Amino acid sequence: MAGATSAGAGLSDADFDRFTEYFYKRTGIHFTHAKRYFVDKRVETCIRSSPYDTFASWFAALRMDKPDMLQELINELTVNETYFLREDYQFDAMLNTVLPKALAARGGVNRIAGPIKILSLPCSTGEEPYSIALRLLEEWDQIDHVDVEIHGADIDSDVLAKAAHASYGARSLARVPKAWVNKYFTPVGSGRYQVDEGIRSAVTLHKVNVCDTAAMRAFRDFDVIFCRNVLIYFDELSSRRAAENLYGALRPGGHLFLGHSESMSRISPIFTPTRLPEGIVYQRPTGAK
Amino acid sequence: MGLVRKQQPEPETAPPLDTGELIRKLDDPDPEQRREAALELAGEPDAVPELLARVGLETQPRVRDAMLTTLAGHDTEAVAAGLAVHLASDEAGLRTAVAEALATMPLSVPGLLPDLLAAPDHDVRVMTAMVLADLPTPEARSWLVRMITDDTHPNVVTAAIDALLPAATAEHVPVLEAAARRFPDDPFLQFTVRAALPGLAGTQ
Repeated sequence: MAGATSAGAGLSDADFDRFTEYFYKRTGIHFTHAKRYFVDKRVETCIRSSPYDTFASWFAALRMDKPDMLQELINELTVNETYFLREDYQFDAMLNTVLPKALAARGGVNRIAGPIKILSLPCSTGEEPYSIALRLLEEWDQIDHVDVEIHGADIDSDVLAKAAHASYGARSLARVPKAWVNKYFTPVGSGRYQVDEGIRSAVTLHKVNVCDTAAMRAFRDFDVIFCRNVLIYFDELSSRRAAENLYGALRPGGHLFLGHSESMSRISPIFTPTRLPEGIVYQRPTGAK
Repeated sequence: MGLVRKQQPEPETAPPLDTGELIRKLDDPDPEQRREAALELAGEPDAVPELLARVGLETQPRVRDAMLTTLAGHDTEAVAAGLAVHLASDEAGLRTAVAEALATMPLSVPGLLPDLLAAPDHDVRVMTAMVLADLPTPEARSWLVRMITDDTHPNVVTAAIDALLPAATAEHVPVLEAAARRFPDDPFLQFTVRAALPGLAGTQ
């Protein structure tokens, strides 16, 4: 019977449809029936941790715009698996081509006004923005001559708390050279290492939904954005909206990196695709104010 | 120099403008202001007529795309019908952008299909095939099969075959073969079918 599902019994078809429609409207993330098991298990977790014992009562409370419940749900239903230096050929592209172009476009080292700004969205538990920081510190020959701001943003408040703490295990650090671990991390026990305070404090973290146009207005004038492996979770319309918001967050001429299996060409025509030796990057046209 | 933490506090985002102010911004001389206003009008039914009236007039593709993104979010038959008129536009950029927006409107576009498939302008029917190629609805394949089977213009049939191919299976082989027999003198259609058939054998 729709609405009477108890925790542990899985959602009925009608409840699943009602729930996924609601979640889509709030986040832009669409789950099909192919994700049924994944959604059922995580909704069940949320119901168990709530004062409600049926889907119907829990869903009714959720729909009364209880922000904590919605945030817990988002945290459960977003995927946060990542590791340091993932798809690092794109960091090569940033160092070899994109940052030199950005510097040149902004008048060069001696005339640039304001910092180079880099955004990692979604930043998940912080591996991506800290990877960017490590690559810049170790391999960019202009890092001592230019200010660089690194920002990380995610919809999930739990992963942002982990990103702020910045403590990682061996699996997450597997691709980080030992010398870098020794130089920039501190052992904190149980085989875990914490990113040093100097780097942690240089990365500014934000909670934001990339589909939320009003919230994304706070993000402006970025030279580089990494938005990898998230648009694949969105339906066509939400992807378009996210693309529009990323466009607004870039400075004219700024560059956007997507995940290796993602393509902007099927989402929106507003970016100019540019083929670099390391792969495709999407650019906000320079002529566009 | 080096890595720096953002020093300034979060910039105060300007308070949101009301719908009337945003609609007025749609006529701002600065395209970026128009683009942002179009996006911020998402979910505002009062803005729909204003946006529909401007889609065909907007000269900046990025502003037009923002308008289309907001309009597509409504996914009602009135919006879809208001957009579909541009499938007949002489401006390739406009009709392609509109087709892409309609392809994100699975609730409302099916209601328009009988009229679109009967449009006297065969170019409109070609654009309709483009919409169906990406429309996320299970009925899209049957509409495309109907176009391949019934349409009288070879360009429309070829466009529908192209649109169907990513989702086509062995069951569509007779449909494609019949289309090839209907237009034996159209080399592009013949080539399209010949190229497609080997890939469909054995698919389910």
